[in-house]
Amino acid sequence: MRIPEFVYTTYIRTTPDKLWHALTDADFTRKYWMDCTLTSDWKAGSRMTMERGGEIKNDCVILESDPPRRLSYSWVSIFDEEMKKEKPSRVTYVIEPRGEMVRLVVTHEGFADDSKTLQSISTGWPMVLSSLKSILETGKPLIIDPAKDA
Amino acid sequence: MSKPEFVYVTYIKTTPDKLWEALTLPEMTKHYWFGAHLESDWKAGSSWKIVFPDGRVADSGEILECDPPRRIVIKWRNEWSPEHHAEGYSRCTMQIEQADGAVKLTVMHVIDRETSKFIEAVSGGWPKILSNLKSLLETGTIALQAK
Repeated sequence: MRIPEFVYTTYIRTTPDKLWHALTDADFTRKYWMDCTLTSDWKAGSRMTMERGGEIKNDCVILESDPPRRLSYSWVSIFDEEMKKEKPSRVTYVIEPRGEMVRLVVTHEGFADDSKTLQSISTGWPMVLSSLKSILETGKPLIIDPAKDA
Repeated sequence: MSKPEFVYVTYIKTTPDKLWEALTLPEMTKHYWFGAHLESDWKAGSSWKIVFPDGRVADSGEILECDPPRRIVIKWRNEWSPEHHAEGYSRCTMQIEQADGAVKLTVMHVIDRETSKFIEAVSGGWPKILSNLKSLLETGTIALQAK
């Protein structure tokens, strides 16, 4: 049986510190995260919210925070009635320097077999992580409207 | 039981035509395939191979579908690792779609077996190659050098 999870690896020309900043600075996240702003003090146990247009879309709690190496948070997609009822899933970022590059592995796991959230995030992560790589390497994010990518 | 498969989606600031060139022209592929290059005339039924810088054939097979600049399907077998070679042919699909201000590239690599060391291996390789491809098209240089 395949484990219901999403794993994505990307290599970015940047430093672990710059990548950590890109993942955790509210103003920076808004630039590349499909207009979402991630806000938290990024300490274990603290709340983190992902907000778009004044509305909280995903409600998260920081589980692990070891800058600039490892970050983990729980995730509940509260913008959707069905997803809101699912058990919290877990996102983990592992950042490793590779020469002039940084390897970023994002694992999103802890889903039920028929999770609607898993479908949603499987579409979203490649957009967010592609845009993240672009902004760090070129200074410009990607312009992708998730609604147009059915 | 689900079959072994690798699926990767990346969004690149480029055009479908430029991405097609990067995927199919030997002199382009060698920039982001760690020095190896792809060789084919990219027509359905034609032979296809990946050639290492020293001339050895890394992988070979046949073009099953080719629809520029949208879709390529390759029948693909490893040639350099006896263990991977023994698993036989896999199938790799590359799909290009315009997605607003970027181009969406989906790479799906599957094999008709219960378990596969080959798919495990390409699952580590594709993110490196596709990260390099995205960097090459967006910045003109690759991200990861060959070891």
